Amino acid sequence: MNCAECKELLVGYVEGFLDESRMRAVAEHLRGCSSCRGQVQQIEGLHERLVANGKALAGSDLENEVMNRIIRKQKIQLKAQGGLHTAPNIWRIIMKSKITKLAIAAAIVIAALIGLHSIGGNPLVATVTFAEVIQPILNARTVVLDLIVGSEETGPAMQDIVAGSKIRRTFSNMETILIIDLNNARMLTLDPPSKSAVYMDIQGPLQEGTKSYLGLVRDIVSKIEDNPNIPVQELGEREIDGQRAVGFLLSEPNLKLTIWADLKTALPIRIELLQGQTQTIIKNIEFDVLVDDSLVSMNVPAGYTLNEEEQDWTEFNEQDFIVVLRVWAEYVLGGKFPDSISMEDLMNLTSQLANMAPRTEDEVDQLDMSEEEKAQLGMSFGRGFVFFSQLEPSGADWHYVGKGVEFGDANTAVFLYRPKGSDTYRVIYGDLSVEDSAPEDLPK
Amino acid sequence: MSEADEYYVGRCLDGHPDDFRYLVRRYQAVLLAHLAGKLGNKEAAEEVAQESFVRAYFGMDKLKKPQMFFCWLFGIADHVVKEHQRREQIRRQRERLRSFSEEAPKPELSQDYALEAAIAELPEAYRQVILLRYYGDHPCNQIAERLNMPLGTVTKTLSRAYAMLRTSLQQEQRKELNEV
Repeated sequence: MNCAECKELLVGYVEGFLDESRMRAVAEHLRGCSSCRGQVQQIEGLHERLVANGKALAGSDLENEVMNRIIRKQKIQLKAQGGLHTAPNIWRIIMKSKITKLAIAAAIVIAALIGLHSIGGNPLVATVTFAEVIQPILNARTVVLDLIVGSEETGPAMQDIVAGSKIRRTFSNMETILIIDLNNARMLTLDPPSKSAVYMDIQGPLQEGTKSYLGLVRDIVSKIEDNPNIPVQELGEREIDGQRAVGFLLSEPNLKLTIWADLKTALPIRIELLQGQTQTIIKNIEFDVLVDDSLVSMNVPAGYTLNEEEQDWTEFNEQDFIVVLRVWAEYVLGGKFPDSISMEDLMNLTSQLANMAPRTEDEVDQLDMSEEEKAQLGMSFGRGFVFFSQLEPSGADWHYVGKGVEFGDANTAVFLYRPKGSDTYRVIYGDLSVEDSAPEDLPK
Repeated sequence: MSEADEYYVGRCLDGHPDDFRYLVRRYQAVLLAHLAGKLGNKEAAEEVAQESFVRAYFGMDKLKKPQMFFCWLFGIADHVVKEHQRREQIRRQRERLRSFSEEAPKPELSQDYALEAAIAELPEAYRQVILLRYYGDHPCNQIAERLNMPLGTVTKTLSRAYAMLRTSLQQEQRKELNEV
């Protein structure tokens, strides 16, 4: 045996997994070769080091802690899934938890912001008059506007104060206040009734897809300037909120943007955006209003208690969305899936939950759950919104087919979607089980 | 405790959650070694390991090949590591904003951090063999079974892993000497 052959076998020799004849051959070579003996010493040193470190770590005991965590989590899941008789209590309590309320309010704002996803595809063409109309949008430092998701009659309204990269958002159907710092991807949520505050992290996919309304319109406008190719359709004159207005329509596949501007001042007074299945209306727009810095300050206002538990919105998945479906069908609608799912529906669902009867101490005692665990479940609910709202902007194809389906019906599909780039659909059934399905095998 | 992974996976899915403890027992040291190398901090490694096991338990119905439990668990752990690192990064940024003059406390290292870091740097296949051999205390034939490779490949991989570890530890030592 020469040195090269021997070196190949040295680890096996130290480890003792060579067969007898090769063990002997190596031992024989070692007797006559000091260089290979040196190698053996080094390997033995490393071997001992590995074994020692392995033993040190084997002494640590994760077993009990892991099993305890599993049992705790399972208990919560069982309770949350425990059928109609037990579930409503749990959800009512969870939804009344302060942290959860904050989480859900945050979900709405994030979802609504994702709805205003930046627009890709073909650029648009400008006309002189249209250019006039968009000037204030481009140049304004601050904008105050009302934002309605869904239809004007039934959709809940939010009021936005946009100052640079910061937005202060309030709601027509809830008392929550949100202050969003788009540059740093952070959000401060304030709940005036309980004087509590919480910070949330909206980094990651959220940040990429998140823009203020002003940012969105600027995006469109800069695309027009770069490459004028799609005609801007003039809609003529109309009376809007008592003012004579002139309208412009820009359409792209999957997107329709209508801007109505005051005939005299050329200032935009109403903007309608239809993106896929979601409509947003912006009205009562005022440009360059003086905005007090304190309104968009990311500091916790005096008198508020900061909740130390920072909330993380950077991850969301299908399971979160299933929590939303469960709360909705099992708890709010008493065992039936809703007629439709849209951002408007979800926002109305949220205010419904937020305004439900207050919890009693008895119910709280029945539920062996910490605040943190409740918050986890509530946050999952909120993340479900985010999951839903990013489906369309992310290029997924989705269909809601749950109208009239009973909760628990394992044979009927309620929701199906195909993530962008995937060959198969994910199909969610009435019992909230999920299956992959090829397009040709989709349930009717 | 001597049954194959797929047996325990099956038991858990059949409604015997307590059998999961055997899988924890089998892989905790392997996972900890892997994580300690990646995170450079024993406490963080323990936290991430626990979270990974819990997620593995609740995601078990998604495990298509129960005999690949070990590789699957590592995939989960890597995901949890990323989440953890992102959170840490944010936390540190914030701490820096609060008191940028104070130096961040040094992470508490586990016993042989240089070794763990070197293991963490190994290519996937080599790392798994080393971890299973010394931290899971598996003989080579069991490793072969677990990783679904011939015994000869396992022993060869182990030999090469040794060579890589030696090189990387020597380099590390030299770097330290130069710094002093």
